[in-house]
Amino acid sequence: MLSARGLSVSGISKSFQSGGRTILALDDISLSLPAGKVGVLLGPSGCGKSTLLRMIAGLETPSGGGITLNDRAVYRPARDRGMVFQDYTSFPWLTVRDNVAYGLKINGDSSALNEGTVDHFIRAVGLDKFADAYPHQLSGGMRQRVAIARTLANYPDLLLMDEPFGALDPETRWQMQDLLLSVVRKERTTVMAVSHDIEEALYLGDVVFFLSRHPGRLKETLYPDFKAGLPENDREAFLQSDDYRRLDLHIRRLMRDEGRDAA
Amino acid sequence: MTAKLSETATRHTMIPKTATEAPSGKRSDHWFDFNQTIPGAQRFMLGTVGWLAFLLFWQVTSQLEFAPDRLYPGPAAVFSSLQELFLEKGFFSDVVSSVTRIVISFGIAILIALPLGLLMGSFARVDSLLNPLLGAWRYLPAPAFIPLLLMWLGTGDTQKITLLLMGVVFFLVIMLADVTRQTPRVLIETAKTLGGGRRIILWTVLFRHSLPGYVDTCRQMLAVSWTYLVIAEIVAATDGIGAMMMRAKRFVHVDDIMAGIVTIGVLGLLFDILFRLVYRKCFPYLGREQS
Ligand SMILES: Nc1ncnc2c1ncn2[C@@H]1O[C@H](COP(=O)(O)OP(=O)(O)OP(=O)(O)O)[C@@H](O)[C@H]1O
Ligand SMILES: [Mg+2]
Repeated sequence: MLSARGLSVSGISKSFQSGGRTILALDDISLSLPAGKVGVLLGPSGCGKSTLLRMIAGLETPSGGGITLNDRAVYRPARDRGMVFQDYTSFPWLTVRDNVAYGLKINGDSSALNEGTVDHFIRAVGLDKFADAYPHQLSGGMRQRVAIARTLANYPDLLLMDEPFGALDPETRWQMQDLLLSVVRKERTTVMAVSHDIEEALYLGDVVFFLSRHPGRLKETLYPDFKAGLPENDREAFLQSDDYRRLDLHIRRLMRDEGRDAA
Repeated sequence: MTAKLSETATRHTMIPKTATEAPSGKRSDHWFDFNQTIPGAQRFMLGTVGWLAFLLFWQVTSQLEFAPDRLYPGPAAVFSSLQELFLEKGFFSDVVSSVTRIVISFGIAILIALPLGLLMGSFARVDSLLNPLLGAWRYLPAPAFIPLLLMWLGTGDTQKITLLLMGVVFFLVIMLADVTRQTPRVLIETAKTLGGGRRIILWTVLFRHSLPGYVDTCRQMLAVSWTYLVIAEIVAATDGIGAMMMRAKRFVHVDDIMAGIVTIGVLGLLFDILFRLVYRKCFPYLGREQS
């Protein structure tokens, strides 16, 4: 395959030992995501989305296969792959500003600190008024914004997100999706996000990877590029477009087939 | 009909109001509702009532004639002998010796237990190495070592401080390790993906997250320290609160013994309040509900 900047996953498999038995969670997954694009891992619960994302982050070791980011092999967590989790991960003892600055501080990046990187990203996620607040004073959506700003301020090559908006109410979820897209487009960040929400996947993704389960396999790769012809950040135009409805129905059928297999 | 309608309407608009008021703890309808937060003044008042009831019980029973005054003095007698102890019998220096023993032994206990607890709570291999050892020592009653300690270290302060240390340090290590282990995995993983190395994560996540728990654990273990202090001072000592009480026993000064008990209680309470104060000042980020 062509070597290019971006994420490349080749022949990844993962099995778990559980109660003396070996369970194959992921089977021979190969996919690639060009730099600057947003990829979404979509699939039914238990198909191994989180496991795959954690292997890309280096938090989990593959049983087979290899992962590269910008042609460098990935084998342990590092600064080039920042991750936003579904659980709230703001450090409760740090203010919003210190949370966002955390990555730069521990990496000894005082120059970036001086250049106002922290304030830039706090503003980018709309938390300037809360810079001195502690996480316990913030709502769930705001805490996720802190996590996103903290990860982006570290300038990762790849932003990983595991259902970051899963715990939010629908309206906040929409706002966060728009916010994420605007920040990510401006910073040209490469993103790999996990979702099991079809609308979210199609709205966020330049590429959507649909995984099937038992074992987790890459079943289909979808390109919702119809969005290029729609006005930007226009949720209604997006939801009403024929292409969206067609893809939505198509994925629903894939999901239904998965349900049938499981039963 | 219309009146009824508007009544239900107002009741509906009332519901969210009371719902938002309840958590602030201002009002609750029943005296014994679950998980109530009550105003500070009322809490103080109830606490005072409890104490007054106790003192009244003590006063009344001491005036009944089932025991001679000498063996069961009332609160007034005890408080006047407490005054006498401090003003005329140099009790203050006894209190200073006791507090010094507590502070030194507990300081050493923290110096030993904190690094061990942090490492055991952070790394499974350190835990597997030390937990079976320290966990077992925890169940050996420290007073059982008094004869040995007396032979090895004599009757001086070293022996007492060692006893206090032995009584506390093993529990402290295990408890601090438990606190450290409570650190959410996802916080550690976040720090990893932000580029944090082991040493950095150990201090900026595990230690930092555990700090309030450490303070709270120390507060609780300090109470245990006082128990061992009395044992140490009763066995062999020339000064200290316990020593004073043993002297008083020789002359059947029950009021002095009781005054010693009261002193220990008050000191323990003061240390407890001090720790709570530190907790509230140092960890404002925990929010009201957890402090
Ligand atoms: N540590 C583990 N030990 C054993 N089995 C595991 C472990 N982690 C994951 N699995 C199994 O691997 C499979 C994939 O899990 P994973 O959490 O990646 O799924 P997912 O697609 O993220 O699901 P969800 O949408 O519910 O989050 C599941 O069947 C799960 O039981
Ligand atoms: Mg998952």
